[in-house]
Amino acid sequence: MQTLINGLKTNRAFAVTSFFVLLLIAVALAAPLIAPYDPLEATMQNAYLAPNADHWFGTDKLGRDNFSRVLYGAAYSLSSVLLLVTVIFVIGTTLGVVAGYFGGKVDVVIMRVADMMISFPGMILAIAIAGILGGSLINAIIALTVVTWTKYARLARSMVLKVKKRDFVEAAIVNGGTSTHILWKHILPNILPLMVITAASDIGAMMMELAGLSFLGFGSQPPAPEWGLMLNEGRQQLQTAPWLMIFPGLAIFITVVIFNLWGDALRDVLDPRQEE
Amino acid sequence: MNKAAKLTAALAMMGFLAFAAAGCGDDKSAAATGDTLKFGVTNFADSLEPTDNYFGWVVMRYGLGECLVKFDEKMNAVPWLAESWSVSDDKLTWTFKINDKAVFSNGNKVTGEAVKKSIERTFEKAARAHAMFEPASITADGQNVMIKTQTPVATLPGMLGDPLFIIVDTSVTDRDYASQGPICTGPYVVKEYSKAKAVMDANPNYWDGEVPYKHVEIPTIDDPNTRAMALQSGEIDMAVNIAPGDLQLFEDKDKFNVSTIASLRDVLARINVADGKPMADKRLREALLSSLDRETYCKVLLKDTFVPGGPYLPPSVDYGFDEIKALDKNQYNVERAKELLAEAGWKDTNNDGYVDKDGKNLELDFIFYSGRAELPLFAEATQADAKKAGIKINLKNVDYNVLDGIGTRGEYDLLISNILTLAAGDPEVFINQYLKTNVNGSNPQNGSGYSNPAFDALSDRLAMEFDPAKRRALIIDMQKIIMEDAASLVFGYPETNMISSKAVANAKIMPCDYYWLTKDVKPAK
Repeated sequence: MQTLINGLKTNRAFAVTSFFVLLLIAVALAAPLIAPYDPLEATMQNAYLAPNADHWFGTDKLGRDNFSRVLYGAAYSLSSVLLLVTVIFVIGTTLGVVAGYFGGKVDVVIMRVADMMISFPGMILAIAIAGILGGSLINAIIALTVVTWTKYARLARSMVLKVKKRDFVEAAIVNGGTSTHILWKHILPNILPLMVITAASDIGAMMMELAGLSFLGFGSQPPAPEWGLMLNEGRQQLQTAPWLMIFPGLAIFITVVIFNLWGDALRDVLDPRQEE
Repeated sequence: MNKAAKLTAALAMMGFLAFAAAGCGDDKSAAATGDTLKFGVTNFADSLEPTDNYFGWVVMRYGLGECLVKFDEKMNAVPWLAESWSVSDDKLTWTFKINDKAVFSNGNKVTGEAVKKSIERTFEKAARAHAMFEPASITADGQNVMIKTQTPVATLPGMLGDPLFIIVDTSVTDRDYASQGPICTGPYVVKEYSKAKAVMDANPNYWDGEVPYKHVEIPTIDDPNTRAMALQSGEIDMAVNIAPGDLQLFEDKDKFNVSTIASLRDVLARINVADGKPMADKRLREALLSSLDRETYCKVLLKDTFVPGGPYLPPSVDYGFDEIKALDKNQYNVERAKELLAEAGWKDTNNDGYVDKDGKNLELDFIFYSGRAELPLFAEATQADAKKAGIKINLKNVDYNVLDGIGTRGEYDLLISNILTLAAGDPEVFINQYLKTNVNGSNPQNGSGYSNPAFDALSDRLAMEFDPAKRRALIIDMQKIIMEDAASLVFGYPETNMISSKAVANAKIMPCDYYWLTKDVKPAK
């Protein structure tokens, strides 16, 4: 925590990007207060209005206010992507740590399953899984978890293997420390920063993949104001109502850029060695 | 690297780019030349076997196969391979006289015997043919074919206009029908066929005039927006079913011909009224119908390319549309919807915005597929409007291939599709298929549990009636029952279109979906 606060003081990039991340989260949380309309309220007589004073981003095919939908989409997309990254982070890291620390058969089983998962093209496997489970946001999250956890497991495992050989772990074992104690007190704190950095810089990519699945119809379902889904809906009016693609597209672009820059800055702060 | 080398590299790069650009351009210029036509379509068929599924439609739409009769702009059956026909006095035996000029693309003459074999083949392979009529015997004599039925079949000539009965040369046995197509009589013959693309050549033996194009390429472009863009860019010369929203892109009359027509189609949702389903209660069905502003869906959301729905048959066919529309009690009226719900005992007791009864919300599963642009739109509009009355609609997007199974097994509350109403030039098949009582699988398409003895009685009389005026009266009465029972949710009746570049003449959409590429589509002078 202290490192983060120091980082805010000394690393300007980190301070600026953190500000933007907080701003995004604030916008997402405050969407019900800022949005001029209910994102699901369809006033069909007003369908396909171009951006104007009443509807800043125009209206969509059911006459819903596009600006309100993009705002609510922030809450929807951010919460789902944060949930996704958390789930992957927890599952992947846990399995990796267990495999690395206990070794033997446990290691073989976990890592061979992981090898199997990465021998498929990720996005295609995710589409297949989401397709079989049926289109819904939860199923999309499950599908992406299944194909992405291996990255964290492999990373965590290799770091555990490295840390395990260090003197202080040996000493803890000799002193009769239990496995739980050693994992929590000695190993986890040593691998956590790098895992967090990986997770943070993955947020952008995960957001794209979730939006991708929604775009293909395997993620969020109508009438949810999700950006990927909005892109798909707007696609049909690409030439006649381009604002339906431009604004959700911009929203995804800005959000992904902010999270990617923030992830980089966070790495510089938590793991300064890489800068040299 | 010295300066000269850099310059050379830069020039080489530019050369490559120019080369690549020229490569892209080639494709486009080919589309406009006189002897090749490129036609962008939607296609569901992975085979050209006309008796399998509805694949015969593709064989006919691509100008490969022809039937004994075809349908004109008013859906009357008119001569095609058969030049005339008549029915015997006992109404059981139909005699078709085959045009003496007609030959197959391999040069074989189309004789009465060949037609007989072709029809027999259809009955052998297609269960759907037996559902249309059951021949007692088929005989041939010179250019005449006699078809005898066990019971009188008033619409038999129209049924033979169904692409299921495309006349094929059965004497040819060494052909893979799926990829090469049968030997037929149309203006074009297949060179290569896959679901993604058909390549065709002119039929050298075509019997009915000159074939206008030497080659035709028909790429499948299922996405309507992509199809519109391909037409705009000149990649294709002609396209069918441009989405309502994109029609305005083709308003320039110097560049495009637009042919639109009120189709013979319904976009309707079957309503599952089986016991235990919420829609078994007629008041709920009426409430749902009243909650939907179908007028606005068609006029605003679909930009006036649909006529708002009500009666079971579209206004493009003459079966009393206005008379039945006037009986529609379930025009858009949210207040009425709410009253009906309250009357049936559904109230929003927990303030979640949806009405409930015995602790359960009124929820309906709405099955749709997205192959046609308007279906998801109607589905979502229904969801938004029904919510205003307190009905919760759960949208389920499914693949087209599983739709039929879901329909026959009744795994839905609402199931939307876009259906041709005059399958054989007559609405009898269509009006029965979802609504006539299904006793132990006697009418498997009716998976909704709907059953009304009065409707069935009219249907039985219709099957035996030959007189057109009486048939019309019966069909109008059947529609009144459907309307009174609120047995179906008709969203609207689509217009359909065919758009071509100015380089193509006579590309005209017909009310009947079977005819796209005909011998009349030719290069503009």
